[in-house]
Amino acid sequence: MDEEGDVKNTYLQIPELRGFEQFCVGRPAEEMPRITNRICGVCPEAHHMAGTKALDVMYGVEPSSAVKKIREMFYSAFYVTDHTTHFYALGGPDFVVGPEAPAAERNILGVIHKVGVDIGKQVIDTRIRNHHVIKIVGGRGVHPVAGIPGGWSKAITAEEQEEFKEICQKNVDFALFSLKVFDDIVLANQEYVDLILADTFAHRTYYMGTVDENNFVNFYDGMIRVTDPEGKEFEKYEAKDYADHVSERVESWSYLKFPYLKNVGWNGFTDGMDSGVYCATPLSRLNASDGMATPKAQEAFEKFYETLGSKKVNGRYEPVHQRLATHWARLVELLYAAERMQELVNDPEITDPDVRPVVTNTPAEGVGSVEAPRGTLTHHYWSDENGILTKVNLIVGTTNNNAPITMSVKKAAKELITKGTVVTDGLLNKIEMAFRNYDPCMSCATHSLPGQMPLEVTIRDADGKEVERLSQFTD
Amino acid sequence: MKTLLLGLGNPILTDDGVGVLVVEQVRSRLPEDTPIDITEVSVGGLTLMETMIGYDRVILVDAYQRLDGCCPGKVHKMTLDDLRLISPTQHSASPHDASLVTALETGRRMGLQLPQDITIFAIEVENVMEFSVNPTPSVAAVIPQVTEAVLNEITQ
Repeated sequence: MDEEGDVKNTYLQIPELRGFEQFCVGRPAEEMPRITNRICGVCPEAHHMAGTKALDVMYGVEPSSAVKKIREMFYSAFYVTDHTTHFYALGGPDFVVGPEAPAAERNILGVIHKVGVDIGKQVIDTRIRNHHVIKIVGGRGVHPVAGIPGGWSKAITAEEQEEFKEICQKNVDFALFSLKVFDDIVLANQEYVDLILADTFAHRTYYMGTVDENNFVNFYDGMIRVTDPEGKEFEKYEAKDYADHVSERVESWSYLKFPYLKNVGWNGFTDGMDSGVYCATPLSRLNASDGMATPKAQEAFEKFYETLGSKKVNGRYEPVHQRLATHWARLVELLYAAERMQELVNDPEITDPDVRPVVTNTPAEGVGSVEAPRGTLTHHYWSDENGILTKVNLIVGTTNNNAPITMSVKKAAKELITKGTVVTDGLLNKIEMAFRNYDPCMSCATHSLPGQMPLEVTIRDADGKEVERLSQFTD
Repeated sequence: MKTLLLGLGNPILTDDGVGVLVVEQVRSRLPEDTPIDITEVSVGGLTLMETMIGYDRVILVDAYQRLDGCCPGKVHKMTLDDLRLISPTQHSASPHDASLVTALETGRRMGLQLPQDITIFAIEVENVMEFSVNPTPSVAAVIPQVTEAVLNEITQ
């Protein structure tokens, strides 16, 4: 706080897992898709895929069209489960149950209580049937093993294809249903719409996302496109050139680095055209694209922008800067993932048995990139001529958003701490809401018992003296 | 009774993987025809709950991180009620997922067939912040003892 007792600054501190590079150096590069999928228990499939794509480049093997389709189909199944979980289990407590609901109801049980057990069952069924696809196609449940340089270790049989077709139809129906839930519960409630459109969590930043040749959203492959806060394309580049476009800012108070756009420059934790802060989330991907590549998702995309008051400028919708709209954007992407998966499963090439190319080139260096649910994920490996790793660099999804998350937390704190008065009741909740819409990956919280993220807020006065400490799950 | 032995944790995050290491030891000591499924995962919440569907009994071995850092290597045998005490269902505070307690409660309410009998071996850990396949000495030292305890639990 400053001398007046208002918020001067906030510092989001997250402990970082250490020593990953040292762990990898000296190991065979081909192990990376199986090692990196252990980095976190949240998106193993995304790390597996980025790692596999880095190996494609490193070993100089362009995957066949069938291999690409199998991978993208598998990856779409992962998106369906991940986005479903986030909306119902994590975003749900903020929207479906409501931001003012008592703490005891602000969890997945509260969501089920509100929407009904039948919907809860559909959520679990969606997860289970898509995890089944992931297990069959990925070779192992949860932590897949099928990615190999330029290929995929197993083909899809005709019987599996038939089974997957049924699963895909259910996914599309479920995604449409989820958008209707959003319509009925959130959009039909003016208070919620006001909350989305409120300035609390709006930041006019740059946006990043992967796009296909038509500038439509793609999760598996394409060019990295960055648009400016007014919605114009700022730059578009191949993933391998990421280091020419993204730099990382180090702050003495944080273990985490803060990536920013090199060609704009670092101008502090601020938004606007002159600040290199960018965001990479479902909302960012929509903002950075011209639309969705599947028909129903495109309709949902248009409704999203029209409803939130965005106008078309030069054929593109103006960006939506309100971060709480990310939850809705996630549902638009859920529908796209379901439709894309269906297209790919119905593609005759998906059962091509020829999926394991022979690798003959000497490995050297490779960059692989995918859109992880929580942002652009980049794996960069270097090896000696025997494929033994000499250097590794990863920019994980959440890391992209470190600066915007810090900015959102600051806004939340400013609203609830004024003139030395701290609104203790809502503070932790509001701060949680501020970062939950980014769906940040703080993997350390996910597996060891007791399995809940400790959150502690320390408020210091202008002299640095602690005036209050609020916490949950830190005992 | 359909039983699942589950090693939980990240096998490349120093002490976090202790549950996986114990389960590997147990697997190598059990006769092959023992009627039990054995697996390991590095996930929590809903996915963890879903791996338990269809089982009557689950034995879970996991790392236990106490923020006061007390007593690495100390082994706790817990029930779900004990876990509930250290992991209240009040809030969805994990940024990604429900806690196991909330996830199981959710699954039960959905009518899923979930185990009534869950035994947890929780090993207090020292280092879950650095990448390594080797646990710290105080945690490594208790692996044989936990392995015995799990074997006893299975044959009970």
